[in-house]
Amino acid sequence: MRAFIIRRLFLSAVAVLGVAVITFVVARLVPADPAARWVGPHATAEQIARARVELGLDQPLWRQLITHMAALAVGDWGRSIITHQPVIRDIAAHLPTSLVLVAAGTLLAVALGIPLGVVSAAARNRWPDHLSRALAIGLVSIPTFWLAMILQLWLGQGAGLLPIAGQVDTVLSLLSPVPRVTGALVVDSLLAGRFDVFRSALAHLVMPALTVAAYPLGLITRMVRSSMMEVLSEDYVRTARAYGVAERRILYRHALRNAMGPTLTVIALSLGYALTGTFLVEAVFAWPGLGRYAANAVIGGDFPAIVGVTVVVALAYVLLNLVVDLAQAALDPRVRYD
Amino acid sequence: MTVQHTGRRGLGFIGRWGILLLAAALLLAACGGGGGAGDAGGGNAGGSGGSSSGQADEIDVAVSLQYSEVMVFWDPSDSFSNEIMAMQNMYETLLHYDPLADDFKPVLATSWDRSEDGLTWTFHLRQGVKFHTGKEMTSADVKGSIERTIQRGQGASFIWDPLDRIETPDDYTVVFHLKYPAPLDLIVSAGYSAYIFDVDVADEEWFNAGNDAGTGPYTVESWTQGEQLVLTRFDDYWGGWNDPRQWDKVVFRIVPEAATRRQLMETGQGDFTYGLPPEMVEALRSNANLQVVETPSFQNLLGMLNTEKAPLDDVRVRKALAHAFPYQQVVDHVMQGTARPARGPIPYGMWGHGEDLPQPGYDLDEARRLLAEAGYPDGGFSLVLTYTAGDEVERRAAELYQVELASLGIDLEIRAMPWEQQWDLARSPDPQQRQDILLFYWWPDLVHPQSWLDALFKSQDEILFNLSYYSNPEYDALVERGVAEAGLDREQAAATFIEAQRLLLEDAAALFIFDQKYVRVTSNRLGGYADNPAYPHVVRWYETYNAAR
Repeated sequence: MRAFIIRRLFLSAVAVLGVAVITFVVARLVPADPAARWVGPHATAEQIARARVELGLDQPLWRQLITHMAALAVGDWGRSIITHQPVIRDIAAHLPTSLVLVAAGTLLAVALGIPLGVVSAAARNRWPDHLSRALAIGLVSIPTFWLAMILQLWLGQGAGLLPIAGQVDTVLSLLSPVPRVTGALVVDSLLAGRFDVFRSALAHLVMPALTVAAYPLGLITRMVRSSMMEVLSEDYVRTARAYGVAERRILYRHALRNAMGPTLTVIALSLGYALTGTFLVEAVFAWPGLGRYAANAVIGGDFPAIVGVTVVVALAYVLLNLVVDLAQAALDPRVRYD
Repeated sequence: MTVQHTGRRGLGFIGRWGILLLAAALLLAACGGGGGAGDAGGGNAGGSGGSSSGQADEIDVAVSLQYSEVMVFWDPSDSFSNEIMAMQNMYETLLHYDPLADDFKPVLATSWDRSEDGLTWTFHLRQGVKFHTGKEMTSADVKGSIERTIQRGQGASFIWDPLDRIETPDDYTVVFHLKYPAPLDLIVSAGYSAYIFDVDVADEEWFNAGNDAGTGPYTVESWTQGEQLVLTRFDDYWGGWNDPRQWDKVVFRIVPEAATRRQLMETGQGDFTYGLPPEMVEALRSNANLQVVETPSFQNLLGMLNTEKAPLDDVRVRKALAHAFPYQQVVDHVMQGTARPARGPIPYGMWGHGEDLPQPGYDLDEARRLLAEAGYPDGGFSLVLTYTAGDEVERRAAELYQVELASLGIDLEIRAMPWEQQWDLARSPDPQQRQDILLFYWWPDLVHPQSWLDALFKSQDEILFNLSYYSNPEYDALVERGVAEAGLDREQAAATFIEAQRLLLEDAAALFIFDQKYVRVTSNRLGGYADNPAYPHVVRWYETYNAAR
């Protein structure tokens, strides 16, 4: 098993490097002048020329690539063209808030999606099944942007139940700020024992998390339903039923465990995707996450930031995949590390 | 039987999970209800924190809703972007300029005078001014700040071009010696590159860590990139804090989505925002809790005509194009009235603006006559227009223009390009490769007609922003004369600049489309707000107050 993990980590490093190289080349081939953006809109020709030298943009592309990759490897991710801050600092600032959102959304999706899928498979072709299938298709097809705004309009402005945007009540956070430890406010407020801030942060998290949950929820429901149906038609299930094993025990103890394999992969992939795929949700709810940072970087031709974000997401993908493989083996002893 | 059995079990699960979920949802809703009420209270009760915290009633917090990051640059020498909105409250300049009244207000300088030849300016500094670092400001800081800004060469540091050297005869006197006469009063009050800071601590890395070293009424309390910047009052501010209604803290919150900013304004959670689409502004006009404030800005939209490429190298064709543009239609329908048809390049409200300039009007018959004279009675040629991708105003203006040109037999191809790409094309070495018409906005780095007349139309060997490629020695001489006169006699200079603009209109160097109005939405409790187009989007929070108190 240790050899397996080491080999996988090595392959992962190669994959991440490949992603970084491709992203860098693509981002630099796009016709945009980062030097002109760096100095601002009304800059003089000399200012632009000087910035080009400072940023190393006067070098041939292959040399820029090697310089950037070498720096990347030792942890110098360069400076963002747009924010003028070190990219690694930008990412550190945005990643925790994104992680909170993605984690909350995924938890919701898993907590609701798995039982929905199981019920759907168990009550195949009867109304609970129809209902959950319609729900799943609806959730997958609703544009997140629209869903976000509808939630905001109904639950926020209309019913006044939930705050419209942001991470925490402005005045509350000003009067007595919570020290930053992890960068994720829901965690930091708990660490500081500040339950008023925690409550406010949690309330602010509900709507964005529901929006983020919509797509994976639909996906997980569908996935669990189809794998469960396959498993439920197996002989051992029939045998179990013949022995009079409780149906609940059959569904959740025996069938679900065998049906979880493909679902785990779907969950892991949607986690990786959500890290940057949530930028529309982040924009609507003024949630300062990585998705919004990435979207701005792409629009602004900010190549150090684009490469930085891509590397982080690639790392998340490969690590998640590794975790999934290990988890699958834990769930299903037939899976071997080869 | 088995199926029945399974079904019942299944429903049982739904029930069990359902109850669990319902409980969770109720819990969340309860939390949410509390938080939501707190937020609403924050707005209605004038910045107080609602029921959760008693001490909240004592502080006034103003909230400015921004659509993008406020702090792009932290170094006051380098500032050239959005941070002007915060920096104008953190840092100060020697003077402050009111362009609509053409008047200066003393800030860090209490009085100043200019020598007869316009080459020596003496400023007498205010005494007892403290930096946020605790140090008292002296002439050494003024000299050091400006020299550091020039030496770094970032931002709008080029406005200091006329400066030869600075002398500091004593702690409260600064003497500027110029290379040629220039309006130094305008330069020292500029929105960029003119801040005075504590030179002892000035260091790029220190600034970038989120520190400031100004003398302004507010200082940085905290900054969370991409989320918010909080400014808090500086107790030792030289102007004092005499009105209990003045803001204790100002929060710049970044909310990119316009619809969200609108909802926050409507629910009393914002005091100032801008950059809302015109139809949204229309909807907010009827809200009794909000104000829509419109003021002339110094930003205008221009269509640069390629004077080096056929058929636009013929002045008659360019004039015909100028007569074919639907100015009023664009102002009414694209800008929804939040603009004013231009008169030459210098915007309304600024010195050097010529209200009597012969600006061509929309007149298709005249356009046809001019085209026929130039040998194109039925048009019969095509033109390429570029605009900055994503700019809806430019796109819609271009489409309206396309219709007008089509009726003259001219085929207009509209190309949306990212600005850098649009600019690269405009600077292609071969003029024939360049676009025919280029739409873009311009605004001043310094409230000086030079910002347009020099940067956009004076002959340039290496093209930077003269994207009409206009070259007229007579015009160049007039602009140079005006620039020299500006340091001695601004009225005389204005007259010269108006003459220069007359040449631009006679030669139809560009389409002068509209002068934009800035539209801000403010809460009713924001008292004392006045817009100043010399400092775009800046709210001087010190001069405003909580009117709800």
